[in-house]
Amino acid sequence: MITDVVVVGNFVLGVVYTSYGLITIAELKRGWRTMGVSHFGLAWIAMAFTCGPHHLEHGLHVGAVGHGGILDLVAVLIGFPAGVTWFLLRLEALRGGRGDRFIPGTPWWVAALPWIFGAYAIALATGVATVLRDGGHFGPRLTPNLLLLGLYCLIGYYLLRTQLANRAVAGGWSLSGLALTVVFPTCGLMHVTFVVYATTGQYDVGWHGLVIDWLAVPAAIYFLWVVRSLSLGTLTDWNEGSTGARLETVAA
Amino acid sequence: MTTMRGPADAATASPGSAHADAPVAAAPAAAPRQEAVRGRRTIWSSHRASATFDLDIPSVNLVARIRVALAVGVAATGSFLPSLTREQSALFLIFGLVWVPWATVVFLASARPNSRLALVGGPMGDLVVLFGVQLVAPQAAEVVLLGYVVVVAFAASSGGRALAGGLAMLALVFTVTARYAGSGQDFGAMVLVPFCAALLAIAFLVDRTTTLRARAAVRAQRYRTRAETVLAHVADAVIVTDATGMVLECNPTACTLAGLDTGDMAGLSCKQALGLWSGQRELDCSEGCEILRLSEGADARQGVELWRRDVSGMRQPLLANAAGVPNDAGGTDVVHSLRDVTRIKQAEEAKTLFLATASHELKTPLTVIRGFADVLSDYDSLSDNTRREALGAISARAEHLTQIVERLLLSSRIESGAVSIPAEDMDVTPIVDERVRAVGAATGRHARSTMPKALPRVQGSENALITVVDHLLDNALKYSPGGAPVVVGATADEQWVTITVADGGIGMDPDQVAHCFDKFWQAESTDVRRFGGTGIGLYIVQSLVEAMGGTVTVTSARGEGSTFACNLRRADAPRVPAPPGPAAHDEQGQPGVGEVTSIREFMRQIGIPGRQA
Repeated sequence: MITDVVVVGNFVLGVVYTSYGLITIAELKRGWRTMGVSHFGLAWIAMAFTCGPHHLEHGLHVGAVGHGGILDLVAVLIGFPAGVTWFLLRLEALRGGRGDRFIPGTPWWVAALPWIFGAYAIALATGVATVLRDGGHFGPRLTPNLLLLGLYCLIGYYLLRTQLANRAVAGGWSLSGLALTVVFPTCGLMHVTFVVYATTGQYDVGWHGLVIDWLAVPAAIYFLWVVRSLSLGTLTDWNEGSTGARLETVAA
Repeated sequence: MTTMRGPADAATASPGSAHADAPVAAAPAAAPRQEAVRGRRTIWSSHRASATFDLDIPSVNLVARIRVALAVGVAATGSFLPSLTREQSALFLIFGLVWVPWATVVFLASARPNSRLALVGGPMGDLVVLFGVQLVAPQAAEVVLLGYVVVVAFAASSGGRALAGGLAMLALVFTVTARYAGSGQDFGAMVLVPFCAALLAIAFLVDRTTTLRARAAVRAQRYRTRAETVLAHVADAVIVTDATGMVLECNPTACTLAGLDTGDMAGLSCKQALGLWSGQRELDCSEGCEILRLSEGADARQGVELWRRDVSGMRQPLLANAAGVPNDAGGTDVVHSLRDVTRIKQAEEAKTLFLATASHELKTPLTVIRGFADVLSDYDSLSDNTRREALGAISARAEHLTQIVERLLLSSRIESGAVSIPAEDMDVTPIVDERVRAVGAATGRHARSTMPKALPRVQGSENALITVVDHLLDNALKYSPGGAPVVVGATADEQWVTITVADGGIGMDPDQVAHCFDKFWQAESTDVRRFGGTGIGLYIVQSLVEAMGGTVTVTSARGEGSTFACNLRRADAPRVPAPPGPAAHDEQGQPGVGEVTSIREFMRQIGIPGRQA
């Protein structure tokens, strides 16, 4: 049962992220003529085309081996709603809709998010300690997963910073922003669960997954660099130019 | 838009570039000279919107990129090796978990210009990693020494002698430490001496002037680019001619002014390119700049009033300045700046028209008031009914005068920014319904309200909304002379309440629609006499609606009436969303300019506002 859910969840996320990469390619191509190449778009495409195949490969691998871990299941279930919400909003925008929802005030479920995430982090730490109580083998093959944890958390930090700043001005939250803020750290924690199970030997580190994960590392670094450069105003992209980071109210 | 080019690379312009285009009206005799000018000079223009990657990568940034690629590549390579010893495993973990994150941090820091972390921290981290390799893998000692040399060399090229010297000393310390730390490394003199010599040579013999010269070149390029960017974006047309009036350089505004493509201007004479007139005399600069001569005796900063015919044949008033600048050949070129003052002239004309209109509007009721007052004072035998009628007429006209004066005062206060709109929640339906009844009663015309009873409350001011509705109703009734129906309605979505005032009157054509919110504007000058009014009603409407955080739009067609729509923000909506603009998709179903693409959306979510095409 656990394995089935992990497999299906990863397949769905894989399709979602890969499709999202295709959508971004179309948008980049369309804006190319008038606004030039977007580093941001390229970096985001690179991210989507590593995240998507990673989930597909992981789902395939777990399905083939048949030993889905409970930590992996929880990680997928935590990240799944946020990922799908973001994707559906983007689909809506692609069809001419708003692509976002404003959430006035701070409803209970938004207020509960930090608690849910904190509880999840504690549960994950406990689970990791339990799984690793008999020791394990950590090798260079698992390095990219830990690197991705750090990189995704940094991206999540930029998103969270903006959401908090916007909330103070707009008096509410952006659903799109919240979804993205949740997606990145949970993606990083999915990699942690993979490391834990791979350390104990429950998951195997296949060369295909290794290739994808190592490709994801420079993609995420590139993306972070673009985000930071845009924030500093040292890179002009499809943003408004070298004015530095401006945490403006962006409610839909 | 075309690529910005500096003078230096004009000669390399491809045949397909703008320079190869033929001038529109070049005299045959001047053609060879024009070509020579084009080969020598270029046109300032604005940035190309299409793909241009920044190829001027500072060396620190370049090294940071190389470092990341190298670190990831080395760490990834280790993870693909089929079997690793314990030492090798530790080595690749150092690469993956220390060098890659550090290289990433330095790379991110390099996004900031002149980052010390990138300049100093990057190579220091490299040395530390190499030292770790030296300790863990003694068999790779020679490779590590070579690595030290490469790191110091890069530091010397980007950071100068002091940094390279410091790093060289650190590398020596690391090497000696590794040698005597029992790591098993045993360098012979054949290795150690060349290594020390290489470090010393790099640290002290690398000529820093190379670096300084490169930096100066980059700085000069940036300065030139900055100057060109400024010239490319100033609103005034800037044209440089030689002493005979031949155009050498110009900015895009000048090309737009002349109605020529970028590149067609160079080599033309002033007369051919612009055709300037001073009064009834056409300027001819072949014997020297006429603008310079006209400026003599006058305050140079005031400029000279000239005019020309624009591409549509309309008279285009210009304010011109000129100044001589020495050129490289020892002669004098002339820099001209030309400002299109059409709008200023139009504003002056509009004010003149307004004065005439306002005088007419004020005089009409005054005449009536004066007439009735004279009658009342001259004729004592008037009946009570006649007196009451006369007084009623005086009162009505005085009320009319009051409205005109209030409208003028409100317009003046809006323009001076003295109008403050208190933000309050209000129910628009009873307000609009009441105004429809009141205006109908006052004018004797029927306007129909289809306002829904259960509209959401909106943010704004009740008084401002009353003024807006009154003006829109007044406008709709005035321009529906045949008794065409006027209907007021409203709709709501999740963010906005839209109040519409539709009439079946004379309507407007697209050009009139584009200007209908301009101050003192009326659809046709004859409208002043035909319909009356001062031409500031819609200006007031737009100003008040925008002050309430909303927008007002109009759709109209000549002979088919007009519909004005006021979008007012719902009281329960967020305070600062964008107002409803054009549809996100154009007629072909392609996403429009304002579409929130995924790229823009993600930028928005990290606090970076996206740009419109």
